[in-house]
Amino acid sequence: MWTVVFDAGPLITACRFAVEGRLIVDYIAQACYILIAPSVEEEVAVRGAGYPNGLAAGERIVRGDIQVVPLRTRRWTAHLAGCALGDGERDSIELCAQTNAEALVTDDYLAFVTATRLGLRAWMLPDLIVQLVRPGGLSAPMAKMMLEVIRPRYRKGVIEQSMAQLEEVERDAEGHRAD
Amino acid sequence: MPKVIVPIKEEILQAAERRKAMGASGEISQFLAELVDLGFEYRLRQLYRQFEEGKISLGYFAREMGMSVRDLYGALEQRGLPTSNIDIHPRAG
Repeated sequence: MWTVVFDAGPLITACRFAVEGRLIVDYIAQACYILIAPSVEEEVAVRGAGYPNGLAAGERIVRGDIQVVPLRTRRWTAHLAGCALGDGERDSIELCAQTNAEALVTDDYLAFVTATRLGLRAWMLPDLIVQLVRPGGLSAPMAKMMLEVIRPRYRKGVIEQSMAQLEEVERDAEGHRAD
Repeated sequence: MPKVIVPIKEEILQAAERRKAMGASGEISQFLAELVDLGFEYRLRQLYRQFEEGKISLGYFAREMGMSVRDLYGALEQRGLPTSNIDIHPRAG
């Protein structure tokens, strides 16, 4: 199973929207290990405890479905100093390097570009959903429903592109079955 | 609603007093509270533009607003604004 580091934005979205009565974060946690930095826990589960999704994140942290990993070292303090990032985004980038995670999951442009420039793989939440269909962690119809419910949180074109990628994945899978 | 004492510019206070003297409805304090709300909204929109342009992150945006990321997420959602600023520039039309 992949290990991914979640930034605050996609974590809120994954704990906010549900498909068939189940939060998106629960489908994802079944298919990969979710790590977060303590500052992201603070932003989402502690300061966000007044929201149902903040509570949901807190419960999943207690259950161990989301792991809070302290930062041991900061590798990129100088690199990140000039970026207009918040603590959560900064720490998530550092944590991604520390844990050799498969990817940083962020819906933020600046965090995405910064992580990519530092040699990390960055995925938006819709990218992660599509990626999880490839190894069979999620079914394509379920992924489609997830993309539909989170659509309002994204700018025009993002979900459309993910839907097209999903169709590609389905076509590839059908091709493999035919072989 | 909590009440606080804040210094304001002389011209703003004079404008509020003149407005009241000319028969505008509502108390001076209510008018000033409306200006504070408008200022908050203006600041939110101003920073959202920077966020939209990718100049600042959501976390930085929240810090500049004095809000938690979760509160800011809620404020944007309430206004029908996306919380992701990654754009793939779809074809027009």
